[in-house]
Amino acid sequence: MSCADPKTFNTPDEIEVRGLSRSFGKTVAVDRIDFQVGRGELFAFLGPNGAGKTTTINMLTGLLKPDAGEIHYHGQRFDPQRLTLKQLIGVVPQHNNLDRELTAAENLLIHGRLFGMWGAELQQRIDSCLKFADLTSKRDTPAGQLSGGMKRKLVIARALLHEPEILFLDEPTVGLDPHSRRKMWAFLRRINQQQRCTIFLTTHYIEEAETLADRVLIIDQARIIAGGTPEQLKQSTGNFVLDIYRADEIESEFFADRRAAMQRLEQLDTSVRIRETTLEDVFLQLTGKRIAP
Amino acid sequence: MILHGARAIYLREMLILRRKLIKTLLASAVSPALFLLAFGYGVGRGAQVGGVDYLVFLLPGLLTMSSMNQSYGIATEINISRFYFKIFEEFLLAPLQRWQIIVGETCYGITRGLIPVLIIAFYSLLAGVSLRFGPLFLLALLLHLAIFALLGFIAAMIVKSHSDQATINAFLITPMMFLSGTFFPVEQMPLPIRAVASIFPLTYSTQLIRATLTPGAEVSFTLFGVLTLILATLFFIARQIVARVEI
Repeated sequence: MSCADPKTFNTPDEIEVRGLSRSFGKTVAVDRIDFQVGRGELFAFLGPNGAGKTTTINMLTGLLKPDAGEIHYHGQRFDPQRLTLKQLIGVVPQHNNLDRELTAAENLLIHGRLFGMWGAELQQRIDSCLKFADLTSKRDTPAGQLSGGMKRKLVIARALLHEPEILFLDEPTVGLDPHSRRKMWAFLRRINQQQRCTIFLTTHYIEEAETLADRVLIIDQARIIAGGTPEQLKQSTGNFVLDIYRADEIESEFFADRRAAMQRLEQLDTSVRIRETTLEDVFLQLTGKRIAP
Repeated sequence: MILHGARAIYLREMLILRRKLIKTLLASAVSPALFLLAFGYGVGRGAQVGGVDYLVFLLPGLLTMSSMNQSYGIATEINISRFYFKIFEEFLLAPLQRWQIIVGETCYGITRGLIPVLIIAFYSLLAGVSLRFGPLFLLALLLHLAIFALLGFIAAMIVKSHSDQATINAFLITPMMFLSGTFFPVEQMPLPIRAVASIFPLTYSTQLIRATLTPGAEVSFTLFGVLTLILATLFFIARQIVARVEI
């Protein structure tokens, strides 16, 4: 089972976005953002709630029309009217938008039909996707009776049914408990590796972006404020942090390496903690606020 | 595959309808039965309207009214799937021309509208009223159901919430039910009411369906033309709206 045939395209960037903007009334939701996503990348769009992540994903998938800017898939300009480009995309929305009365298999069946799949090929894909999502035993269970984690997996299996090359996931683990969240990360890695799908996910969970992503783009108040691999982003701030516990606040100082942090520590006579930098620190440094309040 | 999107949407709606068929049947049976008892056997017992027994006049009216309610009722379902369950997003994301969504939902509205038709045909048998269920009736019924399914679709696309939907029902559907010749001839009403009735599509479909069902009545082919024109206009409007719709 594969998402994409590697021979079908030559351009290095699977997704290229230029000057994308969208406002709702006087509120600017996304403001002239540019970025590229390479083929097969697991790409995270990180930012606090309300930063513009969902609006971006909705424009990338044709659910919202941009006010300005361009989206290209494999060098071809995306227009929701171009049905062949829509075929390349699989979407996992933030909410589990399943038909609760329909069984797991029926939910997949309708999706397949919407994407022009039919007959034995469709049945085979349904079996295969249910198996991949460990939901074969729930095939005839109404979607409304599945657990939260299973519903999420079913929504992802549904998005994979038509073998998209790019999978968009909007906050894929929101609402899941920590155990289910970790299982979901393993599942997403499996999709990225086994099905060779490019994955574009939005998240406001720092750990999720750090653990999963090859590259991270940080968005705040509709603008992109930083981008790179998690390591590059942390290096740009300093790999080590010294948390200095003052009387009424914690002050953080950043250092390129542990030795420099230790030297500074020796100069201090208050409570301190040395730790490795996280993307939360990067965000804090860039914006003066935390991602997850 | 031709019309794969429309067929997928129709299949989805039918799978859901299958699961709530008993509820839909009961809901479609109760209200016309009550109207039939109250108006047919209560108020209108023994009365003659336009030269026919009142029951012969009333049953086609009940049929158009009840089937309109069911066809138009897709508005509430689309509304829920759009704003609450967000399943409508699946249709917007799929590689299909958006007019196929209109076709799929309209076909579903037509199917739903057939349920009260069967029930009222059964009531007419019980009441011993002979109606003419011929090909002209079927054609008129198809136009009528498609018009109200399209109206339901348009309503679901233009509202911004569930409460907007209730407002449309209160200001459009309920007046249409009572002023379009379901229970009494429009010609008997005062001029202002007749003027209002003339803008309701139900007035024309009731008139046409009643003529096709009533033995000996003359069927106006102009009304077929009027209904076809309304249908084409509504499809055009629906197409314009759905092309612009965002989540």
